[in-house]
This record gives sequence, structure tokens and C-alpha cells, in this order.
Amino acid sequence: MDRNKIGKWLKQPAKMANKYSLNAVYFCTGCGIIEIPPVITARWDAERFGIIPVATPRQGNLFMITGYVSLKTLRAIIRTYEQMPDPKYTVGFGSCPINGGMYWDSYNTIKHLDRYIPVDGWIAGCMPRPEAVFIGVTHLWTLIEKDMANGYLRYREHYDQYRGNQEKLLGKLDWPPLYATGIAQKEIAA
Amino acid sequence: MNEGLKEKLEKAFPHAAITSMRDTDYVVTADKESVLSLLAYVKDAGFDHLTLISCVDWIDEGEFELVYILSPYMKDNEQISGNEKINLILKTRIARGNPAFQTVTHIFENAEPYERELHELFGVHFEGHKRLIPLFLERAYDIPPFRKDFDTRRYVKEVFDNIPAIQDIKA
Repeated sequence: MDRNKIGKWLKQPAKMANKYSLNAVYFCTGCGIIEIPPVITARWDAERFGIIPVATPRQGNLFMITGYVSLKTLRAIIRTYEQMPDPKYTVGFGSCPINGGMYWDSYNTIKHLDRYIPVDGWIAGCMPRPEAVFIGVTHLWTLIEKDMANGYLRYREHYDQYRGNQEKLLGKLDWPPLYATGIAQKEIAA
Repeated sequence: MNEGLKEKLEKAFPHAAITSMRDTDYVVTADKESVLSLLAYVKDAGFDHLTLISCVDWIDEGEFELVYILSPYMKDNEQISGNEKINLILKTRIARGNPAFQTVTHIFENAEPYERELHELFGVHFEGHKRLIPLFLERAYDIPPFRKDFDTRRYVKEVFDNIPAIQDIKA
């Protein structure tokens, strides 16, 4: 352990633990997932940074969207995201989740991921190198430290809008809302 | 190269045009009535693997072209000799307005997902198919999306660009 950080650990143990134990949900979408095996295996070894892939979303707190998102995948992404426990962080990986990338005029691929689930950070590139993943992770550390990685709070706060966008695209969703929506949400806020 | 098969095909199906793009394939162009018997015939002649069914949209001519690609599983088939893998490409044309064709699932069982795919992406109806339900797509499209007259940019503008960004309103 870094001795310089002992003060930080004593001051905010929970936040430090959050930072250094990012459990990435092993969710494969698009072509970017091909960059993840080198990241988590011996050559780049993501465990140096405290990142380890986990089997189920209920154990994870880091969600990487690694490439283009088709409508069918979006449905799975929303379900996965809603199963993850708080605090959870989402990272859009590659240029396709940002603005569609090369699928900007595709009939079946969503263009802006942050209109359906909250995204804390982006790693641009097509594809990003494994080094870029680690740069993104260290940025995420900074965001967590400054309480700026607050996507899960934004999701709760604006759940009406997120759920509205999801239903506008996918039609009626076959699972109940995660948080209170509509008038009930406004009452809780007030 | 198996010259015997070509002659046999020409003899059995005099209306089918048999050409060749390269040494390792035959291109058989047939009218839609003789496709089923042709498929059954070449299956018996050793082409026992249906690799792919594809579709080409000839919008100016008002026709869809169905393309069946077949190949033999075994290189050393008794009917097909030689070490090169030979493909047989069977093409036929159907009308574009209200497109319908016979299913080939009773000849090649693995045609089922291919026909479902064409039904979904080109809107070709396969009569006799037992399970012609959507395969990939989540939304219903007014024009099947792989047709030439499907305007993807207009569709993106109407659907995806109409999803509003999340407004961060502080109370």
C-alpha cells in the first residue's frame, strides 16, 4: 500500500475502498470487448488497479459499455444496470456509445447512450488501447474522490426522464420501474 | 472440376442457365418454378450443405433475387471429385411487390433461420414455413430495413434524434 495515502484511508475509508475495488461487470457488447481480455490478463493486468471482472451484476459496481449498442442490447443493459448495487459507475468505451460512431445512420443502433442510462465517463477511440482503459480508470478515481461520479444519483433523481426515453424507444418495458415515477417521484423530492 | 455435373444439370433442367465465375463455383440461374426441384436434385448430387440464403434488391427492375449458396460437406464425395471445394450458387428472381416464395425447409432444414431473416429484413414471405416470426429486430419498421427504399437517415432523424437529452433541472 502507498504510505502517502494512509491519511486518506483513515479519513475516508469507504471512499478509498470504493476507488480501489472496482468490480467490472462482465458484459460483452460490440467489438470493444475484444480489448478487455488483454486488459484483465497478465500483460496489462487490471488487478493492479483493483479492477476484477465479476460474474453477475449484483456483485459489480463498474459497468463498461464496450461498443455499439443495438436495441436488443440496450434492453439487456438497462436490466443489468438496474440490478447493480449502489454506488455504481458506468463508462462508455469507444466512440459508438458516445454519438453512434460509424453506426451514426444505422437503423438499429442507438446513438447516445447517456439518454438511456447515466454515464460517468467516456473513453474515446475506435478502439481504445488497453492503456486508455487505465487512463479512464484513474480519471474515474479522481471523479469518485471529488464525488463527481454521481451517475447512480442522477439516475434516481431523473428517473422519470430516463424511463421515459427507454420506453419511447423500446416500447413498454416488461419489468416494473426501479424507482417511483411520475407524481410519486415529485412528492418524494418535495 | 466436375464437368459431369454441369452436363447432367443442363440435361435435367434445360431452362436453367449455368455459368461459372471462377474454377470453383457454378452459378445456376433458374426461374422460380424449378428452384425446388433443382435444390432437391443438387442435394442428391452431393451438394448437401446449404451455406446461405441471401437476397438482392433490384429496385429498378422491381425484383428480388434470391441466392442459395450450396457446398458439399465432404471433399471426396463419390459424385464430386477433386480437392477444390466447389460452391453452387443458385439464383432466382421473384416479383418485388408482395414478394412470396416457397420455403425450402423440407429440403434443407437449416434454411429456417435464413428464411426468417429474409422475412424480417426484406419482407419476403415464405409459404409453408412453420415459424416465420421476427429473428433479430426489436422494433416494427414500416418498410423492411434492408430494402433499397428504406431511408436510414430519415429513420434515424425521426426515431433516435427525437429522444431528448436528459435535462438536469434543479428544483
